[in-house]
Amino acid sequence: MTSPGSAMDSLSAALKCNIIPNQEYLLQGSVLDQYVEVLLHRLRGLCDNVDSGPESFHDHELCFTLRATNSSGAPMVLPLRVRRALDVSDAPFQLRYVGQQELGDKNRPTVVRSSIDMACSSTIVDFLTELGCRLDFEYIARGPGEGVEPISQSYLVELSVLAPSGQDAIGEDMRVFAEQLRPLVQLEKIDYKRLGSMM
Amino acid sequence: MLGFQNQKNVCKIICMMGVTILTQFPTGNRTGPETVEVLSKRILALGAAQQGQFLVDCDTYTSIPQLGPQRTVHVLHNSEQPATVFSLLESGNKTIPLAADGLFDLLMMKMSSFYTPKKQTKAESKGLRYEIGDFCVKLGTVTVSSNFKGILVEVEYRPCVVPAMCWDLLKEFLQGLLGQSAPGNLPAYLQNRVQEIYSPIDTIHQYLEHFTLFRKSPGGMGLRTQ
Repeated sequence: MTSPGSAMDSLSAALKCNIIPNQEYLLQGSVLDQYVEVLLHRLRGLCDNVDSGPESFHDHELCFTLRATNSSGAPMVLPLRVRRALDVSDAPFQLRYVGQQELGDKNRPTVVRSSIDMACSSTIVDFLTELGCRLDFEYIARGPGEGVEPISQSYLVELSVLAPSGQDAIGEDMRVFAEQLRPLVQLEKIDYKRLGSMM
Repeated sequence: MLGFQNQKNVCKIICMMGVTILTQFPTGNRTGPETVEVLSKRILALGAAQQGQFLVDCDTYTSIPQLGPQRTVHVLHNSEQPATVFSLLESGNKTIPLAADGLFDLLMMKMSSFYTPKKQTKAESKGLRYEIGDFCVKLGTVTVSSNFKGILVEVEYRPCVVPAMCWDLLKEFLQGLLGQSAPGNLPAYLQNRVQEIYSPIDTIHQYLEHFTLFRKSPGGMGLRTQ
């Protein structure tokens, strides 16, 4: 019987073999409330789980940042998100780090951003607060169905895949899938920096 | 979002486990390996079977001065819960526990410019694991930054999850195994939680208390090194 290796050794090995899904491939778009049924119908036609129907969700997300200046005075920012299911009371909370998004050139089909995603205990909100994180904003996402306080007459549509880095073929698959939803939804690489300057 | 939907279906992080008591066993004038040998003979003579090995380790990080009042994050792993990373955050007089998936270690790396590892403090307890009836016994050799510090004995009574209901039984078992070195009272941490349901984080709290004492002790609690 071999002795149990240290957890850090297993993590280094997993990093080396590139089996940790730490990249998110993302496309986003929207659909008007009145057409959401058409989109769901289209998705039922494209997806395998026709019998079980769409899985609903009702999640509360808190977006924190840890901020400080480094020794040379430059700002350091670490964004962290906590998500919990309001409809599944015994589900673990989810903690997520999402890195800077890379849009890449026009040949890259999706946004790619680094992501560390993990389940955790419900003490996470207190933990982050005491750690020095600041709550920037929070929201509730619910779907498919009516939101509690809708902020628009549209649904946000996201196509997201988490995978180990370097799996660029996934982006291509996502582009092809997104093509199937046109013109109902235009799933695109959204540049938040440009959105910010438009407001 | 897709990832989260999948996580809803995974089992709960905190599974049920028995009540565990962690206690230090003095080495007296023996070396570490000699002490483990003595205890190992005793437990085998009681009819225990050796069942694998175990490892509990702890890394400690402190906040950089720019984050304000200093806070300390202890990150612990226990081979008994291999998919979980435990953290205890000390902030003022509060201690906040957290259990998370293995990727929490990766997040600590991302946080390395805010929380830096405290040098020369890596603590671990490792050794053999024994099963005897409803009890699980672990004989751990403790090192801090690779220096031998002492012996920790962990005894778990698996059928019960409430400390108050099995403390007498555990005390008797510990006396049979450790003689006069057996603890006469529940560990301080458990004394305020005797009626609560025991969970793996409670074992982690006990390990941290002992590791903290070992770290403060010069050259191994006045004991001979191996």
